[in-house]
Parts: sequence; C-alpha cells; structure tokens
Amino acid sequence: MAVIGRLRRARYLERGELVVTVTLLGALSVVYIVPFIWMALSSLKLPQELFIVPMRWFPKKLEFSNYARMFREFPFLLDLRNTMILVVVNIVSAVLSNTFIAYGFSKIEWKGREPLFYVVLATIILPFQVVMIPLFIMFHTFHWIGTFFPLTVPGFFGNAFFIFLLRQFYLSIPNELSYAAKIDGANEFMIYSRIVLPLSSAAIATVVIFSFLRTWNDFIGPLIFLSDNRLYTLSLGAQQIMQNLDPKWDLLLTLGVVMTFPVLVLFFLLQKYFIQGIAMSGIKG
Amino acid sequence: MLKARRNQINGLLFVSPWIVGFLVFITYPVLASLYYSLTKYDVIHPPEFRGLGNYLDLILRDDVFRIALLNTLYMIVVGTVVITVVTITIAIVLNNRQIRGLSVFRVVFFIPTLVPLVILCIVWIWILQPQTGLLNTCLSYVGIRGPGWLADPRLAKPAFIMMFLWTSGGAVIIYLAGLQDIPETLYEVASIDGAGFLRRTFTITVPLLSPVILFNVVTYVIGIFQSFAESFIITSGGPDRSTLFYSLYLYQNAFQYFKMGLASAMAWILLIIAALFIAILLGLERRFGYRQ
Amino acid sequence: MTKKKWAMLKLVGLLAGVVALPVLVGGCSAGSSTASKGGTLTYWSPYGGDSLKWDQWRIGQFQKANPDVTVNLIATPSGGITNGKLLAAIAGGDAPDIIISDNASAAYSFAANGTATPWDMSKVTLKIADLLPGMQPVTQINGKTYLLPQDSNVIMLYMNTKLFQEAGLDVNNPPKTIDDLDAMAAKLDSISGGNIQRFGFIPWLDYGGDNAFYWPWMFGATVYDTSSGKLDLTSPQMVSVYKWMNKYAQKTSPTTMKGFTSGFGALFSPDHPFMTGKVAMTVVGNWFTNALRIYAPTIQYAVAKVPAPEGGRAGGTVFQSNVYLLPKGAKRLDLAYRFYNFCETTPILANDFDIWRSIPTNDKQFDEVSWTKKGDPIYKIERELANSPNSGTPALTKVAAELGDDLNALRDDVIYNNRDPLPLLQSLQDKYTKELAQ
Repeated sequence: MAVIGRLRRARYLERGELVVTVTLLGALSVVYIVPFIWMALSSLKLPQELFIVPMRWFPKKLEFSNYARMFREFPFLLDLRNTMILVVVNIVSAVLSNTFIAYGFSKIEWKGREPLFYVVLATIILPFQVVMIPLFIMFHTFHWIGTFFPLTVPGFFGNAFFIFLLRQFYLSIPNELSYAAKIDGANEFMIYSRIVLPLSSAAIATVVIFSFLRTWNDFIGPLIFLSDNRLYTLSLGAQQIMQNLDPKWDLLLTLGVVMTFPVLVLFFLLQKYFIQGIAMSGIKG
Repeated sequence: MLKARRNQINGLLFVSPWIVGFLVFITYPVLASLYYSLTKYDVIHPPEFRGLGNYLDLILRDDVFRIALLNTLYMIVVGTVVITVVTITIAIVLNNRQIRGLSVFRVVFFIPTLVPLVILCIVWIWILQPQTGLLNTCLSYVGIRGPGWLADPRLAKPAFIMMFLWTSGGAVIIYLAGLQDIPETLYEVASIDGAGFLRRTFTITVPLLSPVILFNVVTYVIGIFQSFAESFIITSGGPDRSTLFYSLYLYQNAFQYFKMGLASAMAWILLIIAALFIAILLGLERRFGYRQ
Repeated sequence: MTKKKWAMLKLVGLLAGVVALPVLVGGCSAGSSTASKGGTLTYWSPYGGDSLKWDQWRIGQFQKANPDVTVNLIATPSGGITNGKLLAAIAGGDAPDIIISDNASAAYSFAANGTATPWDMSKVTLKIADLLPGMQPVTQINGKTYLLPQDSNVIMLYMNTKLFQEAGLDVNNPPKTIDDLDAMAAKLDSISGGNIQRFGFIPWLDYGGDNAFYWPWMFGATVYDTSSGKLDLTSPQMVSVYKWMNKYAQKTSPTTMKGFTSGFGALFSPDHPFMTGKVAMTVVGNWFTNALRIYAPTIQYAVAKVPAPEGGRAGGTVFQSNVYLLPKGAKRLDLAYRFYNFCETTPILANDFDIWRSIPTNDKQFDEVSWTKKGDPIYKIERELANSPNSGTPALTKVAAELGDDLNALRDDVIYNNRDPLPLLQSLQDKYTKELAQ
C-alpha cells in the first residue's frame, strides 16, 4: 500500500483523468491513422467506386487486380529499379564517407576542428534552393543532367547531418581503446576501421535508414536533374503519372500503398534506430 | 610536437572528403548563385550583368514575389504556433509514465512522417476533396458540411498546415526525448507545493524544453522555406495564388520562365531571410530561454 | 480484331518501306555521304502513359522500315521544353536530333529564344502553303520555318443532351453567341438558395481555364501581334473576357463554384463535373470524346462550335498542335529528316487520327481519315473548325509561358476578389512591355 501511494504521488493522473486522457489520445490516434486505412482500402476499389458520393469505406469486392494492373500500366518495375540503384549507391556512399569524416571530427585532436565542425552544422540549415541553380548549371557543364550522377556523386563527400550523428556517437566511445591500440602501433586508419567502425553499428544502422528514406522520398532532386523517363524514380514517376492525360487515380493510390509499405515494414523492424536518429537530431544539438 | 603535427595531417585527411564536397557542392554554388543573382541568365545565352537589378525588381516591382513571401510568412507564423502547441501537447501527454508504456501511440503519431512526399500529396488531394474527400466525409458524420478546402483562398493555407501537422510526428519524438531529460523530482517537488498540471507545464516543462522547442521551430521554419513539392503537386500555387510559396515561385522563375538570374536573387534573399529568422530565434532563446 | 491489327501493321510496314525507298535513293543520288548512313537518332518525345505507348509503336514501325537506324527515345512527359532539361541539353552540347512538343506555344517561345535550327524545306515533302491557314503562323519565325506540325486538336463545346432536354433546350440548337450561351447557362443552372445541384456553364472549367489565351482569342483579342511585336493586354476585348467570367463567378461565389466542381482537374476520371452532370456544358478539346467513352460511356452528349461575342472569332478555335522541332546543335539532322518524313506518311498519321481523334494539318488529308469516311458528326465539326479563318495559335511570343500563368492568376484575382480587370491588365501590360523590350 505504501509503495503504491508513493508511486501515485509521482504520477500526476488520477484514474478518471487517465481514462479521459487515453480516450482522447485514442481518438487523436484514429485521426492520424485513418488516412492509412483509407488508402489501403481504396487501393482495392474500382475507379467507379472510388469516386462515389458519399464516400464508401469498404470496397464491395476486394479488387486485388488493381495491383496487377498497376504493374502493367505503370512502369513500376523500371522506376523501382532506378530507385533501388540510387538507394544502394547512396547508402554505400553515406556509410563510407560519413563514418570516415566523422572520425576526423571526433577522434583526432587538431587545430581548427571545432570551428570547422560549426561550419558542418551550419550547412544543415542551408536551404537547397540556394545552391540548386548553380548546381544545375554546374552539372550541365559536366554533361550530367539526365544522368544519375547529380543524385549520387555528392553523397561521396559526406552529409552534414550524418557527420553530426556519427560524431556524437563516436564521442561516446571511450578513447582508452584507441590509446591501447596506438601503443600497439596501430595508425588512425586501423583504429577507425578495426575499433571504431565495429563499435558503431547502431549509429551506422541509423545512417543507413535515413539515407534510404531520403533517397526513396526525394522528389526535387530527380525532378530537376533527370530528363529521360527511363531513369525516373518512383517518386518522380508517380508525379509524372499525375500529369498524364489519363492519370488513373485509382492506380495511383495502389502505387501509394506499394511505395509506403516497405518503409512501414522497415520502420517496424528497426523502430529503435528510427526513433534514435530522430531524437538524436533534436536533443544533443 | 611531432604528434600534434601528425594529428593535424591525419585530422585533415579524414575530413578532406567533406572539405572537397563543401567547396564544390556548397561554397562554389553559394558564391556562383551570388554572381548569377546580379545577371540576366537563361542558360543558353551568356550571363548579362545587370547589377542589383534583379533585387530591385523583386523588392520594388514584383507583386507576385510579395505574395509568395507573405504566404510563406503566414505558414511560418501560424504554422509554427499551431504545430508547436499540438506536438508539445501530444508529447507531454505521451510522456506520462502511465501512458509511456503504450508505445503504440508514439508509433501512431510517427508513421505519417514515413509516407513518401509525392504519395503524401496524392493522399492529401483525396483527403481534401470537397465531395468524395475523407475530411469532409468525416465532418458530415457530425453534421458539418465541409468546404472546398483547396477551392477557397482563405482555407488553402490552413489545409496545408493540417497536412504539415499530420506529418510532424518527428517533432513529437524529439519533444519526448527532451521531456525525458527533465528530472522527475522537479515535478514531485512542484506537486508537493500544490502546483496544478497547467502550472507545472508552464513553470517547469516549457522553460526546460525551450532549447528543444527552438530546435523544432528552426527545423520547421527551414522546412517551410524549402517546401516546394506540396504546392507544386497539389495546387500549383492556386487558388488565387494563395499557396504560391517562396520556393515554388523560385522554381517557376528558374525552370519554367528560365530566369536563372532572378531566381538566384530570390535564393539569396531567402538565405538572408532564413539567417535573420534563425538569428532572431536564437536571440529570443538567449534572452528568455532557460539556462542551467 | 488482332488479325485486323496485324494485317494493318504489315500494311504499314510495306508502305513505310515504299516511302523509305525514295528517301534512300534520293540520298544516294544527291551524292551526300551522310544522308544514307545509318546510326542512332536521339528523339525526345513529350508523351507519357498511353500516348507514349503509341509513340513506341510508331518508332517500332520506323525502325522496321529503317533497319540501319536505332532510335534512342527519351520520353520527357514532364515537358522537356518547359522545364529546362532541353535547354540544359542544348547548352551542354548534348542536344537531341529531333523533338516533338505537345505545346506549340511553348515550342514557339523556345525556338524564338534562338535554341532551334530552321527546317530545310527542300528536304521535307510538306509545303507550308498546304497547311491549314490557321496553322501556318506558328511554323514561322523571322521568315524561317522552325516548327512543323504533326497533327492538331480543336476546342469544342460539349453539351449534355439529357440536361438540355430537362431545361427545355435542344442540343441541335446550340448557342451561337456569348449571349446565347449565357442565357442557356442560366436556364441550365440549378441553384436554389445555398443548395447547388448544377451549373449550366463555367467559363474557366477545363480548357477555358487551362489555356489562359483561349477566351481572349475567342473574344477577338490579339494579345500579341507577332508581325509588329506589339503586346496588347488592355484592349476592350481583354477587359470583357474577365468581366464576363466574373459575371459567372458572382452568380454564387467562385469559392462555392470551385468547391462544387473541383474534382481532380483531370478529364479522365469519372468525377469530372460534366460526367457527373454537375455542369451541363463545357469547353474542351476533341480528346474529351475519348475520356467520355472510357469513363462515362452512358452519357448522351452533343458537340458544337464554341460561340463568340460580336467582334470575336466566331466559328474558330485555338489549335492545340503537336509540333516537330530541330534543336540547335542537333548532330544527325539527316536521320531527323528521315524520321520526320516517315512519321508524316499516311499509315502512321491515320493510326494517330483513328486513336486520338486528332486532326490532320491540311484539309485534303481529312478525306482519308476513318472518322470522315464513317461520317462522324463530331469529326465534321472538327474539320470545319480547322478550316475556319478564325482559327490559330495565340500569343506567339517568347514570354508566353509566364504571361499565361500571370493571366490565369489575374483571372483568379478578378473572380475571387470581384476586382476591375483593367488596372490589373494595365500592370501586366507594363511588366511585359518592359520585359519584351529587353
């Protein structure tokens, strides 16, 4: 009894309040979740049913053939292939470059490190629009417009947010390990590759996830830099379909489900890293 | 001495990819953008120098520029207030220890942020449809006849704020992390002193959370300045230019009207405004924020 | 069905071969070393979706007839011309050899900016003088031919037969003037208090809203006179366009109207207000016939010429043409000409007209189109519109893209805020006079 009493004081909701709060939260959650349910259900409707007034929640018949139709009528597999190429390249480049760069910003003492790191942080908030036009002009002189290069090459030179994320993580790795290795004659690269990297798998996982999300969702990059529809990504492809004379709205929702689903699966499998990445960006800065 | 020098070399070596990237993909474009902003340039013909002409045109003569700027400021001011209040409220409620265990809620508020941007736009076009739309259908259940959200210049921006609110689960997660850093004992002491929930919130939670609030607001403001796809896809800036936001107008100038110089001037004005905004926010934080 | 298609394909191949032969022979006899050499032709197509599939079919036919040529098809449905990609390609020295644009007005401003190569008219079978008169101006810039039309589309008034009957009207007696249109629209309106069932007509729905120059053209305004280089946005015709639209807007409110009719902005969806009976008339291109066939097969409708006020371009249309353009820096012009000449052969064009109901670029060709042979009444109207002296392509100027956006925004400003159009038009006039002078 005494224990419970103490606990109750520490919490600040009475049972009644708790019921009210949970109910309100539940209601709000429904609001947040309904569009997903609606999208999933609508992806199984025929167009005639989709446009009915008033709206009907459940399709009369589950039209799974929409998914087959989407594969047939949209260049889905081609766009998926393009997106996956970019995803893979960007993940590899993000991991390679940022784990390396962050090491220089955390594990080695050198003059100018801190001021330069502030520059890294400042670039996080630089709006893309400021560099967009010169990049477009620069890439066109490289003959890169209409290729994947503008969407992949910059990734090999580090990303401010990832550098920040990994640096924070590296700082929590005790330096004693590297001192010991140094006494044994290891150079910085060996310490980076054999000690720090293996210990950083959690942070690397976060980098991989965010790198995936950025590439999967990117719209303005492909819009500006790609021209040939054989290189379109899923995001750009979806937007282009909306521009067609006959956009096939029902299939666009099917595509929406197909594009959202893998992200959700990934999230549920790797929730910890998602939340960690998001939370890290906020508090330790 | 030798070690310091070796460290200097090694350190620079490790960060060198970033330095190269910074010079090529950031420094050069930022400076080039400044140069282009002083010219008339359409990609085909060589740039033609016209001094501050683009800036003067934008600030003094371009009504559309003013509209785009005001629309963006509306989204920043109204959007910041609405989204901050709602997300903090959700975070505070979720942070309650009896509820904290119910991590399902946290997931629910977070997953809308995972919807790919273009799909988000498609889904919201549907949600906001006057007749077949999800929002108005749900409103009709409680007897409200919903308006044509994207047909009304006064409602289009609020509709966009709703959409941004739906995808602001990241802010909730960040607030939650910030809240968990606030020592429980502070609340216990306050409770013993008889402080109610609201007083505890405004005397303990909000001040202690202010750095996190600042972070989220800065992130949101930058996001709004950059937000392009939403209005590009959903409304193309309409109706009556009510959703013509800064980045959309910049894109139109650059890639639809081929006024690369003018668009570069817009980019630089954006940079200056964004920097000012952040400086003001940081100043406010320094003046009124909580310090340990 | 499939058999017939196959037979047709064979026929197309055969004909294409016959057509290609003289080209080959001609190339050799001219003694040109490059004309007959094969290689890769880079072609930018503006199409997506089903139109792209059709274009791929066409390229297949071309390659069958020209086995020495590989076509590198780059489909840029986002509008290679209108989003800077083509500019980048030309400026970067990666220009394609030939492109088609589905936006003749954008293509014109593109070429007017000095980014295209003129056609050598001795190498094509087409004579500019054979084109429909209204289609000729868009091909010329400073006395040279820069754009060659592939086909075109016309804009018509679609009327819902059943709703006309209910309102005591007859689709066989379509509106002849704008006053007629207004009167019929009022009869077809079904607005009781706050409860709206139907609008008779909404000027800015569909094509009248998509193309900012359409109503000015029909009202008789000459937004830009290409020969004199004069911009005229403040003519009485321009003012009356927006005053007329605003009259419709103030029937209820533009917000209500837009809310009531806003579907997905797409013609091809079953919630298009004409298909759902929310509007009884609408102004749209001949492609709408196809949309109605797919998404509203049961709807009964008739088609008429869009009326115009006195002093306007009655009986005319704005041409929505697909045009060929040779970009500056194109490397394989020889192949580009071969491709163009092939695409202009009868079997290819016939297939185009059959499927898309688009129209030929000269009057004689109409006789060969299956719709004409079948006596299709809509196609007959299309032909009349195409031949009208009042048909053409408005606003042939390099600032057309931005001016169009600005005029549409001006319309919104007038109807949403009930403003007087003249001062707004005057400020646009000032803006663009300055811009054109530069």
